[in-house]
Parts: sequence; structure tokens; C-alpha cells
Amino acid sequence: MTSIGRQLSIGKTDNTSDQRTPRKRLRLIPADVRESFVPVIPARAVQRQNEWDLTRIAPNRPRAEGSPIEVKGTVRNESGTLLRGALIEIWNANHHGRYRHVEDHSGLKLDENFFGIGRVITDEYGNYRFWTISPGAYLARPDIGRWRPKHIHLSISCGSSRIITQMYFPNEPNNASDPMALLMGDSFDRNLGKPYETKIPEVDQGYDFDIVVGGKNATFFE
Amino acid sequence: MTNKQQTNILLPTNEDTTGPYFPTYFSDESYEDLTQIHSGVIAGPSGQNIILRGRVLDRNGKLANGVLLEFWQANAKGIYRNPSSENHPGLDPWFDGYGRLRSTTGEYTYRTIFPGASKDRAPNITITIFSDGINRIVTQIFFADQKANEIDPLLKTLSDQDRKRLTAKYEGPSPDGADVYTLDIIMAGDNETPFFDDFLS
Repeated sequence: MTSIGRQLSIGKTDNTSDQRTPRKRLRLIPADVRESFVPVIPARAVQRQNEWDLTRIAPNRPRAEGSPIEVKGTVRNESGTLLRGALIEIWNANHHGRYRHVEDHSGLKLDENFFGIGRVITDEYGNYRFWTISPGAYLARPDIGRWRPKHIHLSISCGSSRIITQMYFPNEPNNASDPMALLMGDSFDRNLGKPYETKIPEVDQGYDFDIVVGGKNATFFE
Repeated sequence: MTNKQQTNILLPTNEDTTGPYFPTYFSDESYEDLTQIHSGVIAGPSGQNIILRGRVLDRNGKLANGVLLEFWQANAKGIYRNPSSENHPGLDPWFDGYGRLRSTTGEYTYRTIFPGASKDRAPNITITIFSDGINRIVTQIFFADQKANEIDPLLKTLSDQDRKRLTAKYEGPSPDGADVYTLDIIMAGDNETPFFDDFLS
């Protein structure tokens, strides 16, 4: 039972976090209005062909630079219910640490064969799978030499389950200084892809990343 | 059911910041304008069209660029399309109530219909903000000059000042007949918008 709303923490060395994190405690939602705070996302998401394979712009196109990897796992809510038909939106930097986004002004190298954006939908058992290029780390704060470790962005929408998160890679030197990883503390482990050996010749390495959508909204209507 | 939930709690994946590069490629116009299904189709929800616009500002009063906003509301009759309203006769076949837009600059313009008041509530829209530097933050906004604002059980928990911070101002009709409302959301600082803990409470 909570009797007081959370005080959100500011990411150390993260200027945007300092500018955008509410300073007041979050307010508790009275029980009689709780339902109005549970968005239910309609299942009408678009997905184009081949968006599960970020290692090529389209089938029959050349492979992007860098190391191709497979990421797979299940999506569930806190009570263990498998989320079927969940939309997973994926974006990650290329091998050099550059996003193909008009607002990425880093000047790092673009890869002609890497788009870096994909979508997959979980199957009837809540499973998903995609291929991408292992992303490059990039210097986020040149003034203090802080890097963003390799990571893949994932946005999951499925009815009242909603989360935006990032998958990190184990044993990366920059994990320890990442502001958001620091806020997660020991539970950072839950955001690490777990490497497994894959026999698929098209990819160098596999990562298991099971996602659990937390919070009261995800289980509100159960 | 309750027992099962209490004994089978999985540890959640941590939320993380959206970062600055949420792909605009994922934008979908039908989520940015709920007043029509598609320009080539004769179909749309019942209700008065509105335009909700404003700015999302940071602690220094600067526009929060690259924010992703998600909206949730009841239809014109005050019915939410959620599992507890299945088969409700008041559902509108052309209205889901969920919208999403990414703002490059931090300014937003969202087209929808005026939400109906659900039982014992004032008309409102829930807004979830995702952005760089934060995980999800959530608020619920109201509309000026609604009598029901005085009895709304959520507004009642707030100070006069906070109520004002959540009340969109009426600016008059647009040329195409939509009622225009404006509201700035202030993420942090002295004039901070009240945000609600939908994760724990």
C-alpha cells in the first residue's frame, strides 16, 4: 500500500534529466478515478513487411556494417500474463553510434545500408524476435567524456500495458556510468540482454530479453 | 484471482528514457487527429471537434523538444473504450479514445472531440509524456468553464493553483468550427504541472 507518491530521481550528469524531471512528488490517484488513468491502446498498429530484420533496408539489399545480432524474448505483465499481439517499436544506433534521425547532429558516420528502425508484434505465446546490428556506443557528454553504452530502444504497446525501455549489453565498460542505469541500481540486470549462442549462420550472437511490463495499469483490468 | 496476482508477481523491466531520437517514422496521423478515420472515408466520431494545443516546457521555461505525448479520453457520451465497457450501448464505433504524437519542437496540436463527462467526473483527457531525460510522467487535464469541475473528485484533491495548472483555456472556435483550447505543461520548476503516480497508486 502506498500512501505517498514517488519522488522521481534525476539522472546524474544528464542535463536533460535535470531540466525535465518533476521536482514535486507525484500525486496519488484517488481510487474512484483510477480507471480514467488507464489508457487502452487499440490493436490497429501498422507493420510493414520485413521490419523485423533491421540488418537490411529491404530483402535482397546488402547487409549493414557491423555485427548482426538476434534479440528475442517474451512480453508479459507483472502477474505473468503473456501479452499477445503486443506492438514492439525498435530503434537503435548504427555500428558507428549514429541514428538516422534528422535531429541527430553528432556527425558520426551513417551507414547506407542501415535504417535502424523496425517493428515486430508478439505471437500468440507472447514471443518476439528481431535482427539488428549491434549498436555502437557514442559520446553523449564530450565535455566530461561520458559515453552512452550500447543500447537498443524498445517501445511496447498492448492494451493497458505500456512501457518504453532500453536493452543494454552485459560487460560493457560504459554501463557503470550511464545515468539511467545508475538510477536502476541492482535492477539494471533486468535490462540486460542475456547472450546465447545461436546456430543461425546469419547472426553472430543472440540475446534473450524477456520484458515484464510493470505498474498498476498493466494489470488493472485483469 | 486475487491470490494468483499476489503470489505470481514478476519483477518488472525498468522503464527508461525515450532518448532524443524516438523515430518520427512511427508517426501515424490517425492518432494525431481523432476527429476522422481517414480523409477519404465518410466516418468519424460523434461530438464537438476540439483542438488542444500548447507547449511542453522544461524547468528553465524552454520548449521540451522531441517529446512523445499520448492521450486518453472517453467518447462524447463519457464512455471509455476499455475492457469494463465491452458491449456498452454508449460506445462509439468510430472512437477509441487513444492518441499519440511526437513533437519535434515541444509545441503540440492535437485534434479530438470534446470528452463526455463519465460518471461523477468532469470532462478530462489523460496525457502521458515520454521524453529524453525522464521515464513516463502522467497528468490529467480539464476544460475551463465546466460546471462539473467543481465536483470532480480528482480536482478536489488539488489546491486552487494546481487546478488552474490543469485547466485548459478556451480560445474560441477555429475557422473550421473546432473549439480551441490551450494548455502548457510545465515539466519541472516553480510553476510545475501536477503529475500523478499511475505506477504505484
